[in-house]
Amino acid sequence: MPPPLRLNAVAFISPQNHPILIRTFQKGDELKYHYVAHTSLDVIEERTNGPTKSNECYLGLLYTMDDIAAYGYITPLKVKIVLALPLTDSVVRDSEVVMVCPFLSLSTRPISDMDMRIDLQGPPSGLLSRLIEPLPPTLRYTSRRGERQVEVFQAESRRDK
Amino acid sequence: MNSYPAELLVQLAPVMFVAGLDPAVLPTSTSNTPQSPGQSQSPPPTPTKHDPFQSLIARLRDVLQSQRKAAIWAPERTRSFQMILVDRNVRFPPRKLVSPEDPAYSTAHSPLSPLTPSSPLYPDGLIAPIWIRKHTALLPSVFVLFLRLFEPPPVHTRSPLDTPDPDYEREKAEEERRRDAELSAEVAARKKTTNERGIKLTVVLLASRRMLDDPSLDSRLTFIRRQSGLDSRAALFVLSPVSTSELHDFARSLQDALYEPAVEYYTLHSKRVRRKRNRHSQAVSSYNSPLAPVGAASARPLRPEGWTVRYEYKMACFAEFRGEDEVALKHYQDAYTKLMIMFGSTAILPPRTKRWAEAKVLADAINAKISKLYLYNREHSLALSHHNSHMRRFADFSRGWGIGEETFEYWSWMARQHRVLAELLEQGSQSSLTFPTNTPPSRSMSPAGTSVELDTVRALGLNPSHALQHPGHYYYMAARCTESRRERFLASEGTSQGASAAPGYTNEKKVDHLSLILELYTKSYEVFKKYNSTTSQGRLTLWIAYRIAHTYYESEKFDVAIRFFERIAKTYRREKWNDMLRPLLSTWYSCAQKLGDVELMVTLLVEMIGHAQDHDESKSLQDDLLAVLNSSVPSSAGEPLVVDLKESEPLLDTILVFWTPEVRVGEEAAFQLSLAAPTSIDLSALPVASVTITFSNGYYPVVLRHSPSTDDEAAYQNVRLVKIGKVTSEDEDEEPEEIGADLRWRPGERLVVSGSISSAAPGPLTVVSIGVVLAQSDWVIEIPHEPGVSHGISTLVPRWLTSIHPIRFLQRGRNDCSSVVVRHHPHELAASFSHQAPALLDEEYPIIIDVTNMDERHLDIAVDVLLQPTEVDEASQYIIFDDQRSSGLIKGIRFGMIAPGVSATKTLYLVGSGAPGDRMIDVSIQSTSVQAVTKDDDNAEHPRSSTSSAHAAVDACEKLQTIVIPMSRALSVTYDVAYKRSKNAMPPLADLSTVEDDVWDDSYGGVAIIAARIECSAPCALLIESLKLRRQDNSLAKVLDSSSDEESDGIFLDEYLPGDEFCDVSRISLSPQEEQVLAEEKIPGPGDYEVVWRRVLPGGGRGRQSTTRFALPTLMLPRDGLIALLDVPSTAKLHVPTPVQLTVRNRHPFRSANVTITLDLDPSDAFIVAGLRNGRLPILLPGSEERLSWNLIPVECGHVKVPRIKVMDVRHATPPSQGAGVPNTDVDVEGEVIMVVDVRADWRTTSAQNAGENSVAITQQDGVNENIHPTATGNAAKTVAEHEAKQDLVFYSGWFCPFNQRVWISLEEKGIPYQYKEVNPYKKEKHFLDINPKGLVPAIEYQGKALYESVILCEFLEDAYPDYKPHLLPTDPFERAHARLWIDHTTKAIIPAWHRLLQGQTKEQQDAARQELYVAQGKLAQQVKGPYFAGEEFGLVDVANAPWVAREYILAEHRGYDNAQVGNGWSEYVERLATRESVAKTTSEVDKLQVIYDRYLRDEAQSEAAKAIRAGRVIP
Repeated sequence: MPPPLRLNAVAFISPQNHPILIRTFQKGDELKYHYVAHTSLDVIEERTNGPTKSNECYLGLLYTMDDIAAYGYITPLKVKIVLALPLTDSVVRDSEVVMVCPFLSLSTRPISDMDMRIDLQGPPSGLLSRLIEPLPPTLRYTSRRGERQVEVFQAESRRDK
Repeated sequence: MNSYPAELLVQLAPVMFVAGLDPAVLPTSTSNTPQSPGQSQSPPPTPTKHDPFQSLIARLRDVLQSQRKAAIWAPERTRSFQMILVDRNVRFPPRKLVSPEDPAYSTAHSPLSPLTPSSPLYPDGLIAPIWIRKHTALLPSVFVLFLRLFEPPPVHTRSPLDTPDPDYEREKAEEERRRDAELSAEVAARKKTTNERGIKLTVVLLASRRMLDDPSLDSRLTFIRRQSGLDSRAALFVLSPVSTSELHDFARSLQDALYEPAVEYYTLHSKRVRRKRNRHSQAVSSYNSPLAPVGAASARPLRPEGWTVRYEYKMACFAEFRGEDEVALKHYQDAYTKLMIMFGSTAILPPRTKRWAEAKVLADAINAKISKLYLYNREHSLALSHHNSHMRRFADFSRGWGIGEETFEYWSWMARQHRVLAELLEQGSQSSLTFPTNTPPSRSMSPAGTSVELDTVRALGLNPSHALQHPGHYYYMAARCTESRRERFLASEGTSQGASAAPGYTNEKKVDHLSLILELYTKSYEVFKKYNSTTSQGRLTLWIAYRIAHTYYESEKFDVAIRFFERIAKTYRREKWNDMLRPLLSTWYSCAQKLGDVELMVTLLVEMIGHAQDHDESKSLQDDLLAVLNSSVPSSAGEPLVVDLKESEPLLDTILVFWTPEVRVGEEAAFQLSLAAPTSIDLSALPVASVTITFSNGYYPVVLRHSPSTDDEAAYQNVRLVKIGKVTSEDEDEEPEEIGADLRWRPGERLVVSGSISSAAPGPLTVVSIGVVLAQSDWVIEIPHEPGVSHGISTLVPRWLTSIHPIRFLQRGRNDCSSVVVRHHPHELAASFSHQAPALLDEEYPIIIDVTNMDERHLDIAVDVLLQPTEVDEASQYIIFDDQRSSGLIKGIRFGMIAPGVSATKTLYLVGSGAPGDRMIDVSIQSTSVQAVTKDDDNAEHPRSSTSSAHAAVDACEKLQTIVIPMSRALSVTYDVAYKRSKNAMPPLADLSTVEDDVWDDSYGGVAIIAARIECSAPCALLIESLKLRRQDNSLAKVLDSSSDEESDGIFLDEYLPGDEFCDVSRISLSPQEEQVLAEEKIPGPGDYEVVWRRVLPGGGRGRQSTTRFALPTLMLPRDGLIALLDVPSTAKLHVPTPVQLTVRNRHPFRSANVTITLDLDPSDAFIVAGLRNGRLPILLPGSEERLSWNLIPVECGHVKVPRIKVMDVRHATPPSQGAGVPNTDVDVEGEVIMVVDVRADWRTTSAQNAGENSVAITQQDGVNENIHPTATGNAAKTVAEHEAKQDLVFYSGWFCPFNQRVWISLEEKGIPYQYKEVNPYKKEKHFLDINPKGLVPAIEYQGKALYESVILCEFLEDAYPDYKPHLLPTDPFERAHARLWIDHTTKAIIPAWHRLLQGQTKEQQDAARQELYVAQGKLAQQVKGPYFAGEEFGLVDVANAPWVAREYILAEHRGYDNAQVGNGWSEYVERLATRESVAKTTSEVDKLQVIYDRYLRDEAQSEAAKAIRAGRVIP
């Protein structure tokens, strides 16, 4: 049985490739995840626009770099989500990541009608807090077969600026 | 790769030694073989002459050497050799140190063995690269020797005709023999050495093409082979000089032939090693006393594990030589595993010794080989998994050895591992290796039905660290590790000054880390660039470029770094990754500082201030900026330095707000421009000298100049207001003055510039740019800002400063407040449409459009008219406007130029036909001002060309209006059709004329008499001008005559008022064939009535002539069976015989008839009869007839009866079978009585109404509801959609009917499965009437039986489905009766009052009904226990009321009903009912319902309930 899915950081990126929110669950090194998120855009663009274009929301493993494995997800409204998982020597099930992604994308739904405004700088502060609220520090969900509980976020809660 | 000995990494292949191709030893026999003294006649080779063998040898060298290049990545198995050119006399390295003759030979070991004291491996080494070199360079598996076969020179002098000189021949043969023997001896010598080693020897003899044909060749070759002891197979070749391509074939075949011996050679080696290993491992158990004491390291022999590693490694190598990758992989793995065991113990391999270092190198190399072999096989994850675990293991070991993460050794080693992998992959990618994309399997890509598989694939998952990526990633990792290495090295340098802390320290000191890092990053960058897909922006490469720039910075190459930073910052700025931009800027700034580029420093500092995170940062940045400005001078004095922050964060947040989105020409548009410092940035030290606000073209910019506020209080205001008044247009000569303002911003401070702007020309107006100018000492820095930029969106909300004391803002709700559009004043136009509603069908109905110009401008008017497509069935329509005719759009009807105060009129004609109903016309009146054109052409053109948006410039307006025109029938027609049977006899069976085309045979059809009653149904008087039956005879029917055929002039004299009728009768002869009658074929009416009429206008005038056509109804003959027609004259004279004829026709399709006729003469009859009294007719075949005649002699006067004639069809009727056993007795009944028809009164009638419809159609009910929406909508539509499937229970419903909804709610509430069928109660279908003759909805079809009546149905559902919960009626008998009591109250009191209120047309009626309703509802409300009538449970009383409650809004809207007036908590009860799910699910959209209730509100509804209410009866 693979260890529970751990998440180092989540990044939400607007359809215009501007960062919306980059939330790290580990102290220090926030900047690193900015770079991870930004560089992931390359692979996301390749997967969504490239010759092997796919219409799936889930984009799978984007790349691994340093001690991070970056996974991508794109909502129908082209908000991109990059998940930074720690690179441990263990299997990451796509199904688990897939399960987390729509959940995360739910929390971006309020953004969709604000698409035009996001073009400018970033979400307004009110929106930002709404965005953060749906992400509890530790979230448990029951896997499809209901056999076990999987911890999705085990990280310390720290609110981003 | 350079970090490891090449021998350990290179792909091994069998080795072939090639001798005898030495160019120095060449050429040819002269040097090859010693010159014989007697060979005077053989000419010495002339150097000028080109020797074919020399070039052959040169080519051979090239070809053989090109066969295979030594490479690390060579996955192909092509049976190719590693060719090595050697000297002919090459010697193989000795097997053992001692000579074979020495007695110690058997105990001696190989010079490379750890057991040999002189070996570099003595006493405990594992494997040295030299061992591999021995097998790749010094020892072949195959030895190929090229030799020149002796050929005597050709004798040119002799003629071919001469007999051969026997002497010479003999001499030649001897010479040959001697030379061949020499050659054989040489080969034999070589054979001896190769045999010792088990090496295959092959000799290739070079001979001329001529020699190949020489008959003596065979014997010579046999001789040589025998003499030299060569093998029989693949040991002797003869090659003559050939072309290069043929040489390639030769090389190929040579390799193919020798590959097997080569493999054999290496197999033998493997076997030998395996034997040794086995012997050794058996021996291990015997000497299990481990280790000599650790201290005696000097002479410690190699441990058993070491031997195993050695043997396994050797076997792996030999397997690799043989090309057996799988075997090699296994042996390498075994060797690796053993090696790990050795590393695990410091006793076996003491760290930091020479052997330890060697073993490490060996382990790394084996790891690389294992990974490579996996990759050959495309087992990417296995390869990576091995590589990763190798690194992890050694990381663990390193910690134990004291060279953990904190040491540079550790990172140096890690970097090397990454690099080896990267280099391996790079080599691989140049040939066969491809990299997976890791894209998750897509649903769309896989065929349907595999989603389950997909899920399993997803469930399996992937270890991300086993996902193979392109080498760039690994180069990058290597670079990162090297960076760490440098860091540790610098750290250790800091801690241990000079002291040689680590053993590798002195070496490490010599390493140029930075250039190493740079090299790795550059490699990575190149690979990334190569693999970068065209679609992506290269952000990954940017990131690496950033690292490269950083490295350049570290290596103090600032100018290079700056170039990188410039490029990277572009993308980061554009995509707003400010967090990443910030560190970049500060490094960039440091570079600029180091280079002393002042202008760059200033530019960067300004940008960094915009990015500052907090007050302190922004303050210190400003201090830096001021220091730079004060201490330097700009390179180009006078020119301001422009710092464009367009892509980057602005200094000031700017918002431009116009009060209104639009203004008229000449009006002032008020605006406020707000310049604010973000709350996190303190800009108070920034030396802002002025702010220039530039507007769209044509205005002087507004300049605000800094003037420090003297008023302290004002200075500390958070918001400062500067009024600039009206912005001056450039048309005015005078430039506006500069305005003083406090241009210092503390965090969050806001400067609001308020003013107004007006324009004489239409077009958009906005602020183009805001220039913030800093001035300090000699520096002038201009920072342009755009209006509407901000650090965060929240501050971008457009707000209007309404008051400064206290500060109050008003939010402007528009999306875009940052510009204003100037438009022309709208045109003042009055348009009226006059017409005499309703329009009549078929009439050119005039609509007079009158347009009046109320404006002060001259207007050019054009009108577009669109006739909306009608929703009425069978309706057609068109419009006529200004000679244009269209069923849709007529465009651009010009009314021409209209001067102010003048009006213009045009008439539009609407013609509708088919069906009545509302028609809709959209009229668009477009006006264009022609003022500008008439006044002055130059002036008019100027603003048009200068403004960007053309539509705003053209002074045009559009006015839209929709007219709804009700259309009704002018005339309606009712047809009464009677059919008369023909008196003509049927043609005989064989009559040929019946098959002719134009025969008219009405014997079947007879005559149809159509009485058309045309009623004037127009709401106004009509003048009928003419009525004509236009004949359109067809093959089945033709008009015989019509009453309108006569001259009709002057018939229609007067005006016809509504309800007046006139009639016309026509006779139509029908000529259908027998089969057409049987098929019940319809006969189209053979013509139509054409009525020409005019409308009588209210003033007494006449409207346009209109023509209405009514087609004759479709005719359908009734079928006849056996029929008797009696032809009696109407009058007879007393005592005069009168003939009477009876015709019996058999019209049955297939049965012949046996007919008896009886004429019963009663004594009272007034006739005496001459003729048949009783008799039988001959059998009548189908389609035949028989005629009988009598003579009647009347004996009485007056109206008398014809004697009774009885016609019987005698048939042996079989009584209805009543089951088995009953004897089938023929009952001779009298037979069937056949109807006797008096042909004088032969009328079979139907009636039809209105043209175009079937004559058989039943008369329509009054109040036709064509316009109601046919199906449910909104939530109810969803519920309907869920219940379309066939079920036992069918629910017939009308979606809008509240009574229906009661049943529907019950069904939904209880969850009973049912099928929903929509019935239009105003157009009931036959099928519905069949099962439910009363035709009422709601109805339920349950087991083929129908039920109706809403409350009964609800109770029925309760009883018929006892298992479906909840129960809507209580179980307690008293409670149940109580509920029924209140249902009754609802039905008898509440609903009638409700409907009376709805339908009431006078105020008195409404007031009374409303009051009544309040009282009735109040009574019920008192009984409500809450939340529902019977308490917690939703019950039938609630069901009974819910539909009306859900429709209360209609009363509330139109009848002043207010449920709060009911009291007793009614309004809360109502709220609960209306929001109940089952109620909401069955309620349709409000607007569709509204259409229905509009009828009720006008009291025009025709439902049973509505009629009852109108009549004051109880609702049925």
